[in-house]
Amino acid sequence: MIGRLAVSRVALALIGLVIVIAVWQWTIAHYGLARIVLPAPLEVGHTLLGLIGSPPFWRDVAVSLREFLLGYAIGGVLGVLVGILIGERPLVRMTIGPVIEALRFIVPFAWIPLTVLWFGTSLTGKVVLVAYAVFFVMVVTTSRSIATVDPTLTRVGTMLGMRPAEIALKVHLRAAAPGIASGAKAGAALGWIAVVAAEYIGASAGLGVMITNASMSLATATVIAGMIVIGIIGALASWLIGIATRIWLNY
Amino acid sequence: MAGRARISGLLLGVVGGIGALLFWTLMAIWLKGGGGVISRLPTPLAVGVELADYARGTLWRDLAASLQVFLAGWLIGSIGAAVTGIAIGRSRLIEGIFGPIVEALRPVSSIVWVPLAVVWFGFGFTSKVFLVALAVYLVVIVYAIDGARRVPPDLDRTATMLGMTPLQKFRALVLPAALTQVLVGARVALMSGWGTVIVAELVAADYGLGARLIAVQQSYDVAAVMASMVCFGLAGFVMNAIFSHLEKLMLPWRSEGGA
Repeated sequence: MIGRLAVSRVALALIGLVIVIAVWQWTIAHYGLARIVLPAPLEVGHTLLGLIGSPPFWRDVAVSLREFLLGYAIGGVLGVLVGILIGERPLVRMTIGPVIEALRFIVPFAWIPLTVLWFGTSLTGKVVLVAYAVFFVMVVTTSRSIATVDPTLTRVGTMLGMRPAEIALKVHLRAAAPGIASGAKAGAALGWIAVVAAEYIGASAGLGVMITNASMSLATATVIAGMIVIGIIGALASWLIGIATRIWLNY
Repeated sequence: MAGRARISGLLLGVVGGIGALLFWTLMAIWLKGGGGVISRLPTPLAVGVELADYARGTLWRDLAASLQVFLAGWLIGSIGAAVTGIAIGRSRLIEGIFGPIVEALRPVSSIVWVPLAVVWFGFGFTSKVFLVALAVYLVVIVYAIDGARRVPPDLDRTATMLGMTPLQKFRALVLPAALTQVLVGARVALMSGWGTVIVAELVAADYGLGARLIAVQQSYDVAAVMASMVCFGLAGFVMNAIFSHLEKLMLPWRSEGGA
């Protein structure tokens, strides 16, 4: 029964895929679109395979990934630390909270021109941007998860003679872990997009630069192939973080 | 007692805000001699003056251009998501065929589409509206599908028992449930739509706040860049506040959950 259900799901998904490709091909044929406007699905596939075999492409991927990972690590750690402080200490929450709320409305993308002015098209600018994006996601989710921890747990900790710092790290952080984990996933998605957006606007190397260059020279097949790669890496990143957090939560 | 706590909270907030401005000013003075990586950091005062200048100048025209792009894309995206979301949520066949396609598109943020939109629609209004609509669509579709499925089974059975035709059931049960969730999704999509406006205008810069941001960046005017960023933040904040208020008026039962 379940086997049949799975088979029909796959079959329907395949029908969907066939419809997309058919509409794609039909649009090209019907409107007589040039290759530079919309290349055929097969050509995009070929380009994708070609990219996978070329070293410059992997250099671009490596550049983007390094920017992302560095920024993610810095922003994530700082964000969780500040989030714990805000969640644990009402004094800190009331003092820093409004400033963070105000900054949160300046979305990371609005910072791109400023980071280009300050740091040029180098690695530092992107790392700062990603760290900024991830930081706010982590501060908000961490402080919110800690603020909603069951007060009974705190009382139990106090009763067992734990110091406030111990309660914060051993009790609250554990109880808030699921919320922080979902924040980590959302932060990864946002951080990865921030890297791509920054590379579209001002950078010297990376996946985003490869795509803008291809778009300027009207190599649309490369543009679409690059977009697919970005999507796959983004999905992989959030999948890996999902696995990592699940292992962390289960120890 | 509660009043006093509120006043002291407000006071602390003001202290925090002043502290942040003070820190910024000190940094600006310290970096004036051209030390470190951040060679040009204007004081808050300089940014304020720039903001006032901008408000007397072209700010309103730029803001109107950006809001126009945003509203057009936001409406198209929300309506498109409502229609397709209800179809996917109510029909197993449509879900089986198109559900995976939507799922495959969702992790690819609309911002990734910027170069392709430029190839397809050029640097004008259309490509920006397309990008914003896509961003909003990808958020709202999840809420629309969820809403269309949210009809409680009891109500559904009762309606059948009362002899309602499928069309009547659709209008009385499915549509209100789905549209409620679409409304919630449309508010959640505010920020991602607004962020997309920024990136789209930074790349395809002809009019708007983003175009202004790129223009002043290219003349190395850091104070003006920061003033434009503040405008973006303020506009996002005001839109969010308006829509949260509207949501409370239209869906009063939701705001009690604190969502």
